[in-house]
Amino acid sequence: MHRIAVDIGGTFTDCVLMDEATGAVTLHKLLTTPDDPSDAVLAGVDALLRAGGVDIADISTLVHGTTLVTNALIERKGSRTGMLVTAGMRDILDIGRERRYDLFDLRLAYPQPVVPRSLRREIGERIGFDGTRGEALDAKAVVAAARDLVEGEGIEALAICFLNSYANDAHEQEAARLVREALPDLLVSTSAEVFPYVREYERWTTATMNAYVQPLVNRYIAHIDERLAGIGFGGQFYIMTSSGGMVTQATARRFPIRLLESGPAAGALMSAHHGKVGGIDNLLSFDMGGTTAKGALVRDGRALRKYELEVARVHEFKAGSGLPAKAPVIDMIEIGAGGGSIAAVDERGVIGVGPRSAGAKPGPACYGRGGTEPTLTDANLVLGYYDAASFLGGKMGLDLAAARAAIDKRVAGPLGIETLRAAWGIHEAVNESVASAFRIHASERAFDYRRSSMVAFGGSGPAHAVRIAGKLNVPRVVLPPGAGVMSALGLLRSPFSFEVARSQRTRLDTLDPAAYAEAFAAMERNARGILADAGISGKDVAIERRLDMRYEGQGYELEVAAGATPDGLAEAFGDAYGAVFSSIRLDEPLEIVNWKLEASGPEPMAGRAFRFDRDFVPGSALKGERAAYLPESGVTAVPVLDRYRLRVGAVVEGPAIIEERESTLVIGHGDTATIDQHLNLVVDVRGATAS
Amino acid sequence: MSGYDPVSLGIIWDRLIAITDETLSSLVRTSFSTNVRESYDLSCMLFDSKMRSIAQGTYSVPSFTGTAPNTVRLMLEKHPPHTLRDGDVLATNDPWIGTGHLYDINVLRPIFHRGRIVAYSLSITHLPDIGGLGFSATARQIYEEGLRLPVVKLVEQGRPNPLLFELIGLNVRVPEQTLGDFHANIACNEVAARLLVEFLEEHGLTDIDAVADAIVANSEKALRTAIAAMPDGTYHHAIDVEGGEDSLRLAIKLEVIGDRIHADFTGTSPVLNMGINVPIGYTKAFVVYAVKCVTTPAIPNNIGCVTPITVSAPDNCILNALPPYPTGGRHVIGHFVNPLTMGALAQIVPDKVQAESGMMSLVNIQGRHRDGRGVSSIYFSSGGFGALKGIDGLPTMPSPSNMTGTPVEVWEDITGMTVRRKALRVDSGGPGEFRGGLGQEIEMVNDTGNELTISCLSGRTQFAAQGLAGGAAGALRACLINGEAVHPKGRYFLKPGDVLTLVEPGGGGFGSAARRAPERVAEDVREGFVTVEAARRDYGFTGSTGRVPHP
Repeated sequence: MHRIAVDIGGTFTDCVLMDEATGAVTLHKLLTTPDDPSDAVLAGVDALLRAGGVDIADISTLVHGTTLVTNALIERKGSRTGMLVTAGMRDILDIGRERRYDLFDLRLAYPQPVVPRSLRREIGERIGFDGTRGEALDAKAVVAAARDLVEGEGIEALAICFLNSYANDAHEQEAARLVREALPDLLVSTSAEVFPYVREYERWTTATMNAYVQPLVNRYIAHIDERLAGIGFGGQFYIMTSSGGMVTQATARRFPIRLLESGPAAGALMSAHHGKVGGIDNLLSFDMGGTTAKGALVRDGRALRKYELEVARVHEFKAGSGLPAKAPVIDMIEIGAGGGSIAAVDERGVIGVGPRSAGAKPGPACYGRGGTEPTLTDANLVLGYYDAASFLGGKMGLDLAAARAAIDKRVAGPLGIETLRAAWGIHEAVNESVASAFRIHASERAFDYRRSSMVAFGGSGPAHAVRIAGKLNVPRVVLPPGAGVMSALGLLRSPFSFEVARSQRTRLDTLDPAAYAEAFAAMERNARGILADAGISGKDVAIERRLDMRYEGQGYELEVAAGATPDGLAEAFGDAYGAVFSSIRLDEPLEIVNWKLEASGPEPMAGRAFRFDRDFVPGSALKGERAAYLPESGVTAVPVLDRYRLRVGAVVEGPAIIEERESTLVIGHGDTATIDQHLNLVVDVRGATAS
Repeated sequence: MSGYDPVSLGIIWDRLIAITDETLSSLVRTSFSTNVRESYDLSCMLFDSKMRSIAQGTYSVPSFTGTAPNTVRLMLEKHPPHTLRDGDVLATNDPWIGTGHLYDINVLRPIFHRGRIVAYSLSITHLPDIGGLGFSATARQIYEEGLRLPVVKLVEQGRPNPLLFELIGLNVRVPEQTLGDFHANIACNEVAARLLVEFLEEHGLTDIDAVADAIVANSEKALRTAIAAMPDGTYHHAIDVEGGEDSLRLAIKLEVIGDRIHADFTGTSPVLNMGINVPIGYTKAFVVYAVKCVTTPAIPNNIGCVTPITVSAPDNCILNALPPYPTGGRHVIGHFVNPLTMGALAQIVPDKVQAESGMMSLVNIQGRHRDGRGVSSIYFSSGGFGALKGIDGLPTMPSPSNMTGTPVEVWEDITGMTVRRKALRVDSGGPGEFRGGLGQEIEMVNDTGNELTISCLSGRTQFAAQGLAGGAAGALRACLINGEAVHPKGRYFLKPGDVLTLVEPGGGGFGSAARRAPERVAEDVREGFVTVEAARRDYGFTGSTGRVPHP
């Protein structure tokens, strides 16, 4: 049997077919079809079946990653959504966090809440901060308000958001039951079910977004299911979540907010796989495309998680200018720097790159499509890293003169420096900002990147990865084969998983071990139930418990791995605290704040490799030489090699440029690249870090 | 100027800022005080060996940028660099050395590299408590406001001074939280030292003086260029604010002289025997801030953003208070230096200046939780933001400081109070072509079963946020206990069951209301930001009162 993975990205839809017996993969890339994304899915499946000579009946499983939810939130294409909210709290969504994301820019912009004020109805009820029930739920008001919103305002989905429901969701549950009875066609989300964390603005925003995209996701899944059935597909259809696990259609429809950012999550998952195979405990996953660079940390074979993601940022990439979504997601850094990022002289009189991007249209100046502003791609071309003739496998010629002119006009001229120096400044400014972002991200998580490796992919990643690694003192960079479709490959390795999390403050010194066990047991029943629905047998389910802990009274928590009993938690916290913050230990009581439990099924293809044999061709790898700028030796004649002709065990001494279809690797003096047995390009970094 | 070309300079500059960002993030994560972790009432900065500030954590409170250079100079006068050893940490909360009130602790660590001081890391946080009357404006002298620490050596070569910690612990209501925040400050500066030394090693540098020269020169040049583009002249502005019993006048004479600005505050009312007096360092900070917002908002903060601006004020006018006048709530008056300065700048660059904002209110609450825990926390809430040319004022947005509101669920858990209502205040935004932002109304009940002490620290109960360019003023603030208005700077006791209501003001509008686009008026009515009556009165709205269809 075979499996298919389809990952829909902003520009491309990536598809992979894999033979479950041999691991042999067939890759296909096509343009995304925004009007009906399922067009590209169907076309991609068709192309794979032809290329692989496989019948649709031989497909056991199709795994799907989609940007549908993210796009719907950015473009406001969700449904008309209502909200029932605790009396007195209707405006929490407008009031927001009462925080400016920029102190000096007075022209701030925030996204509008997805539920307008006029579609929110207040309901009499109250739960106390400790979960005690205060005012009873006004059941009549619940039904009347929901009915009015449906009949008078035409809402398709409803979010029920009550105060302190993270501590006790009885009123939310009761209200949901009443609404479902009265209005069986209305889609209902409750804030504690979507994500029971403290802080009403964030939890309610998440619940309203979940409701807002629910009708759309429902329709989309039904539509694609029907079209797949139409071509004879009889296998399982699964959806990828932002935490790197698959879920069934039913779970995806219930918690569509968990589908945000599934593509990058799958990419990070693929990096984690390379770490496992290579026996590397800690690694950095680095993905750089046309508009952004993304980074994730992988520890002991698992990408680190976080529980809040900001979507639909209004002010370019400024943190704080978007809507917070609470969900388990791969803990990713995102930097507004990619191949299309525009370089300019900033107010300080130095080179700034991004977050403005020339995008695909007009694109970098060298694309010759009317772009006049210099981009990172223009700089890399001027530096000799890219070849004007063989870019994207020769599908697209680049205009070197246009790139030089743009850099001269906007950067080199105003600063009074040479074109080449300006190009290097653009290139290196991006390296530095990516390295800084990794540094701060890693240190906040007590992650020692110095003994790690970097896995680099994406169209622009390999041109920058080795120098970034040098700055971080990361000794090794791995460039896997098929890096152009990393996310789709990641989908094929994604296990079934579901994570349950909740806020419940508990002092460690007075913790009752039985209550501890019961709290996790309840979460485990919930998570196992969702996996059982997917047909995963109980004995194949792995359970992982984690706690967010802090000194009592502190506002930020550290994550600690937890067992079935509370033994050893204080020591585990002490070690984590010392590693992240300070050698000074406090004599304060500890408390547990958030409880997290994840149930996972077995990893497909565990311990087995993909086979890319058909991509690799015989012949001499050396294509010639190109003049390229290297900071240590200036303009240098650098050998250019074809990756697809490098055999297992081949060794390339830097400086060198190694080209493949969608990206170009640059290694400097002292760096060495080898091809390992899995056809990875592995670079030993000895590059200097001087600027 | 320096040996740094724009390529290297940009890279190193960004790295130094990244170091302060990381320092700041470690401070936020280890702090016990809600003001720090929820409201970012803090700052982290890096200074070179010549005591010049060169980088600041992005989320720092803007006012501290203006005060910190002086703070470091005065701290090092007391403990000169040659007396300092690696691992030493200095601290003070003296209002005239630090940020203008006892509540902010300034913690400074020299950073050693290859046996000598190459830099200093300074962190500042608002403490949960510092003894005395508690955070309030009601003190008559500074001695009533709490423990005043001279510049002390808090840590000596890595060893915390036990006597100082005992002394501080004995003088505050919530010793575990206050001392925890001292430790958080110590720890974050340790992080800064480690990061800077790593950076120096990596780049093979012995110090940062040369790069500091270039950073300061570039920043100063950008600001001077922007000021030079303004016409020379003298611009007067004055505003009224509430004081104790009577109102106060704040007056500014802003002079643009070539590429520098001087602000003088002659004509400003005298100091009061009430904790709202402002040391001049704090006054200057808000002049610097206002000028930066309208000239060079994108230049990262450093001493170069400060030097082209000077200030002067008569001794013991309320914007230049001297000891022993109390300063506990200095921001209550000091924050108004921002709209005061903006008002003068509006005469020069009206399209870049913001109408006045409702600004924030701060209520300090102390007592016991239902379960017996001590409570000492500050509730921040914001009025509406002033409108600018082209954009409506945002609702409930802090200005000029960036104290973040505390979530209802967090507040109830910390204090045991019940928040019954937190809602936008309809019609509170100043009418205008671009409407002022809405304020809010918060109603909370003392459900702790114990008496709570509350100290209010706010203004705008008599003088509303003014509009600009023909825009109208926002609605006034009120602070009520059981429905009765109380003084916005008073100290009160809330009995069990008593209700505190904070009615937050709206921001001022920009441009004449008659010019507001009719569809925006209709939208405001539909969403209920403006009532039909107010829309008819202020905007000439002629639409219906019924359910308005959505677009």
